[in-house]
Amino acid sequence: MTLGYILMQNLRRNPSRTALTVVAFALPMAIFVAAISCVVALKEIGESNAKQLRLAVHDKTTLTNGLPERKRREIEALDPDRKRLRAVCGMRWFGGRVPDEQNTLTSLAADVDTFPVVYSDAGMTETDVEAWERERRACVVGRAIAEQYEWSVGDRVELHSTVPPYLALEFRVVKIMTNPSVANYFFFRRGYLEESLKEAGSENPICNVFWVKCHSVEDLRWLQVEIDRLFAGTSEATKTEDESVFKSRFTQAMGDLPGLMEAMAVVVVVIIALVAGNTMMMSFRERTRELAVFKAIGFASGRIFAIVLGESVLLSLMGALIGIVPTAAILLVFPVRRLNYGPISSLEVSSDAIIASFAIALTVGLVSGLWPAIQSLRLQTTDALRRVA
Amino acid sequence: MSAADIELREVRKSYYKDRLEIPVLQGLDLEIEAGEYVALMGPSGSGKSTLLHLLAGLDRPDGGSVRVGEAHLESMSERERTRWRSRHIGFVFQMYYLVPVLTAQQNVELPLLLFRMSSAERRERVGTALDVVGLTDRADHRPNQLSGGEEQRVAIARAIVTDPDVILADEPTGDLDAKTSSEILDLLQLLNSEFGKTIVIVTHDQRAADRARRLLHLDKGVFERDEARQASSAS
Amino acid sequence: MALPLRYHWLSLFARKTTTLLTILVIAAVVGVFGWMMGFHAALRDSLSVAGDSRKLIVIKRGSTAESNSAVSPEEFNRLHQLSDVQVDPETGERLISPEMLVQVSLPRLRDGGATFANVAVRGVTKSAFKVHQNVSFAGNRTLGSREVIVGRAAAEQFGGLEIGETINLGHGGIRPYEITGYFSADGGPMESEIWGDLHSLMNSYNRSRYSSASLRLGDGADAKSVLERIEGPAIQLTGATETDYWDGQAKWIRIYIGIAGGLVAVMSLAAVFSIANTMYSMVAGRTREVAMLRTIGYSGGQVLWGFVIESVLLSLIGGVLGCLACGAWLSLVGNTKDMFGATTFTTLAFKISMNWRIVLASLILVSVVGVCGALLPAVRAARLEIVAALREP
Repeated sequence: MTLGYILMQNLRRNPSRTALTVVAFALPMAIFVAAISCVVALKEIGESNAKQLRLAVHDKTTLTNGLPERKRREIEALDPDRKRLRAVCGMRWFGGRVPDEQNTLTSLAADVDTFPVVYSDAGMTETDVEAWERERRACVVGRAIAEQYEWSVGDRVELHSTVPPYLALEFRVVKIMTNPSVANYFFFRRGYLEESLKEAGSENPICNVFWVKCHSVEDLRWLQVEIDRLFAGTSEATKTEDESVFKSRFTQAMGDLPGLMEAMAVVVVVIIALVAGNTMMMSFRERTRELAVFKAIGFASGRIFAIVLGESVLLSLMGALIGIVPTAAILLVFPVRRLNYGPISSLEVSSDAIIASFAIALTVGLVSGLWPAIQSLRLQTTDALRRVA
Repeated sequence: MSAADIELREVRKSYYKDRLEIPVLQGLDLEIEAGEYVALMGPSGSGKSTLLHLLAGLDRPDGGSVRVGEAHLESMSERERTRWRSRHIGFVFQMYYLVPVLTAQQNVELPLLLFRMSSAERRERVGTALDVVGLTDRADHRPNQLSGGEEQRVAIARAIVTDPDVILADEPTGDLDAKTSSEILDLLQLLNSEFGKTIVIVTHDQRAADRARRLLHLDKGVFERDEARQASSAS
Repeated sequence: MALPLRYHWLSLFARKTTTLLTILVIAAVVGVFGWMMGFHAALRDSLSVAGDSRKLIVIKRGSTAESNSAVSPEEFNRLHQLSDVQVDPETGERLISPEMLVQVSLPRLRDGGATFANVAVRGVTKSAFKVHQNVSFAGNRTLGSREVIVGRAAAEQFGGLEIGETINLGHGGIRPYEITGYFSADGGPMESEIWGDLHSLMNSYNRSRYSSASLRLGDGADAKSVLERIEGPAIQLTGATETDYWDGQAKWIRIYIGIAGGLVAVMSLAAVFSIANTMYSMVAGRTREVAMLRTIGYSGGQVLWGFVIESVLLSLIGGVLGCLACGAWLSLVGNTKDMFGATTFTTLAFKISMNWRIVLASLILVSVVGVCGALLPAVRAARLEIVAALREP
C-alpha cells in the first residue's frame, strides 16, 4: 500500500465532494488560464515593442491633427550622422474598411523606404521587401485580419476609407504578418495614398504619426526630449511617446481589458484558494479520528503530513487539469483574435501561460493543505480517538 | 392527559443487505394496554429497535398490522405517519440528540413549532415540560453546558412537550452512570404513574427493565418471555 | 417554514471555518458581479440619455462617425430644403445645427495623468443648445471666440478643465481657450465633450468644412422618410437618429460587457459548486440531527426547506459582503471609467456606482446560486433513511 494508493482511496471515499471541489476549482481555473494568457501575451508584446525601440511622434493636441510630411526630414536632421536614430517612418491613418463591413481596420499608409526597417517586427524577408518596393499597391496584413477575411499573399483586396475624402483603394497582399504585435494591422504605401488623394483633388501630404526607430534606449530618451523641443511653440508642436504609452491610449479607451483580466486573475486565485481550503478543512475534520488511528498504528508524522498535503495538491491539480486543458484547447481552435476586439486580439495561449496556471494551482493546493497538515502534526492520538467526529 | 393502547398482529419485517434478506421480525403479535409501562429486552439484532421504530411509524411492516390508538400505521403514507407522529409520539434517544446550537428551552420548543400555537402558549408548555423534568433553572443553557443526565432530561421534556399518547425510549440510560440512570428512570416512571402515559422502552439495562410493569424478552424476532411483574419502584 | 431562522443562523456558524470560507467565495463573485452591473448600468444610462429619436445626426456618406465626417457648407445648406424640421419659434429658423468635431488629448485624473484620453471638442453655434435639448447650460449661449464650456463628466475625469483654466486647441495646440463654464447633458455622451464657438474653432483648425449637422424633427415628421431624403440625390448625405447612432457606437462596450459577463457566469457556477460542497458537508455532519427532527415529526419537505434556507442565508451574507466590498472598492480605488465609441475615437466618460437596483440584482443572483447549490444536498437530507441514521453509531 503506497502513499499514492491511500490518496486515491481518500478521494474516492467521498466522490461527490471530490467532484464538486474539482469542478469548483476547474471553473475559475479556466478563467485564470484565459486571463493569464492575455496578460502574458500583452507582456510579450510589450517586451517585443520595447525591443523595437520606437518612438511615436504626433501632434500635441490630438492624433487626428496631421503633421506635414516634411517633418520627417526635420526629425532626421536632428541626427544627421544617424548615430542615435536609425530611420523615421511617417504614417497616415486611412481608416479603411472592407466594403459592406462595419469594422474599421487599423489601416495605415507608411513610408515605403523606411517601413521594413522601422517595423522589423513585420518580419519581412528580402523577397517581401522587394515586392513591397516594387508594387505601388502593395500591402502587408496582420494575421488576424487575413484570417478574418480569408486573404492570402497575392490576393487583390479593396478597402474603403472612412475619412475624408473617403477613397476606395485596391491593394495586393504581399505579406502576412504573424507577429502578435502587428496581427491587427494593415500597412500599405503612403505614396500610393497621397497620389490617389491628389487625383481626388485633395492634395495635403500629412502624417498622423512618425515612428522613429532608435539605436538604444538612451538614444530613445534623448530623441524623445529633443524632438518635442524642436517643435515646441510652433503651430506644429508635437508630443513624442514611447510605443507602450502610445498604445495604452487605445487599450485604456477600449475599457482597459488587460486591467480587467489582471483583476480577474487575482480574484480567481482568491476563489480557488478558498474553495480548496474549504474542502481540506471539511475533509480533515471528518477524518481526524482516522488520522489518529494511522498515528496510533505507527505512521510517522511526516507520512501523515504528506497524506493530508498530498490530498490537497492532488485535488488542486485535478481541478487545474480539468479547467485548463479544455480552455486552452478552445482558445487554440478558436483564437480570440477573430473577435477583432483590439485589446484582447493578442490573447493567445502560450506554454508560459499554461505553466503559470499549473504553478498557481500547485501553490494553492500546497497552501490550502498546509493548515490541516500542520494540525495533523499536532494531533494528540488519545484526544482524537476520543473525539466524536 | 391521554394514553393509547397498542396492538400488533402478525408483524413481519426484513432488512436487505446486498440483496440478502435478513428477517428481523417474523409474525409478531403484541398487545399493550393504554397506560402500560413495557420494557423490551433482548440481545442485539433481536429486533427490539426495529419494533420501536415500527411503533413510532418511522418504518412500515412488510406484513401484518400495527395499530397505535386510532392509527393503523401499516396503511398510512409516510406523510400521514410523520404528521401523526408529531402529535401522538414522544421519542427519547440513547444519545439525546439535542441540537447543539440551541438552548434547552429552544430544544424543547422544537416539536411545538409544527403546531399552530401562539408563542405564549408555547412558552407555557415548554415551561411545564422543563418543570416536570426539573430543569427550569437550566432553561437557557446549551447542551454542551449540561451534564449527560441533564441532557437526557431535556430530551425527555422535548418528548412530552406535545403531550403525546405514547412515549418510546431507545436505551435512554445507555450512556449514563448508575445514579443518573436511576434519576431518568424515576422520571419515566413518574410520567407513567402520574400522567398515565403508555411507555415502551428498549434497554439492555436490567435495572431499567426492573422498573417496568411488564417485561418482554425478544430473541430472533419472537417473544421468548412475557412477564408481568410488580413494578419495583424506587420508593 | 417551521424551524426558526435562529436555528439555521446558529447552525451555520456552528462550523465557522467552512461557513466563512464559503461566504468569502460568494463575496468575491458578488463583488465582481456588482462592479460589472454598475459598469453596465452606467453605460446604459449614459447611452439611453443620448437616445433622442427626434434628433438626427447627419454626416458625410462613407464616414462612420462625426469625427471622420466632413460636410461642406454647401452640403450643409442643402439640408434647409427639408421641410420636416422643427422651426424655432423665436427666430423662425429651422433647427439645424452645424457642428465640427475635433479631439484633444487630456490626462486622465484617475491614474494621475499617466494615460491620456481623446476628448471630443465640438464647435457649435447657439442653435446647438436648441437641437440638443438635454444639454443645459446656465451661462450665455453665444460662446465667445476664445472661450469653451466643458461637460461635467469630462471636467470630473480629465485634467486641466477647471473653470478659469485655459486649454490649448487648434493645430499644434497654440490657441488658448478659456474655460468659462460647465454644462450638463443628463449624463449623456455629450457630457464628456468640450464645446466652443464653431467659427473660432474652424479657424483654429484651418477647416473650411463642418463635421456634421444635427437637426430636430418637426412634430409628426417621420424620421425614416426624412433620412431617405437626406440620402437622396438632392442632398447626398447620410445620417441616423441619435438613438441608432449611439447604438452603433456601443460595439466595444458590448463586447467588453459580454466578456465580463461570461467571466461572472463561470464564477457564479463555481460558487454553486462550492456551496453544494459545503451543504453536502453540512448535511453529512448533521445526519443524526436530521433523523431526530424527522422522528419528532418534521417532514422531509420541512427538512429540505430548512437546508435551502440555510444555504440562501449563507449566500446572502456573502452577497451583502460582496456588495459592501464592491462599494468600498468603487469609493476607495475609483469609480471613473471611459471608453471609445466604436468609430468616434472620442471617449465617453462615465461613473460606476452602486445603487439599490444593483444590490437587489446581486442579492437575487446570490439567492439563486444559494438555492441551486443547496438543492441536491437538501434533497439528500430530506430523503434520509431515518431508521438507518438512528442506528448509526
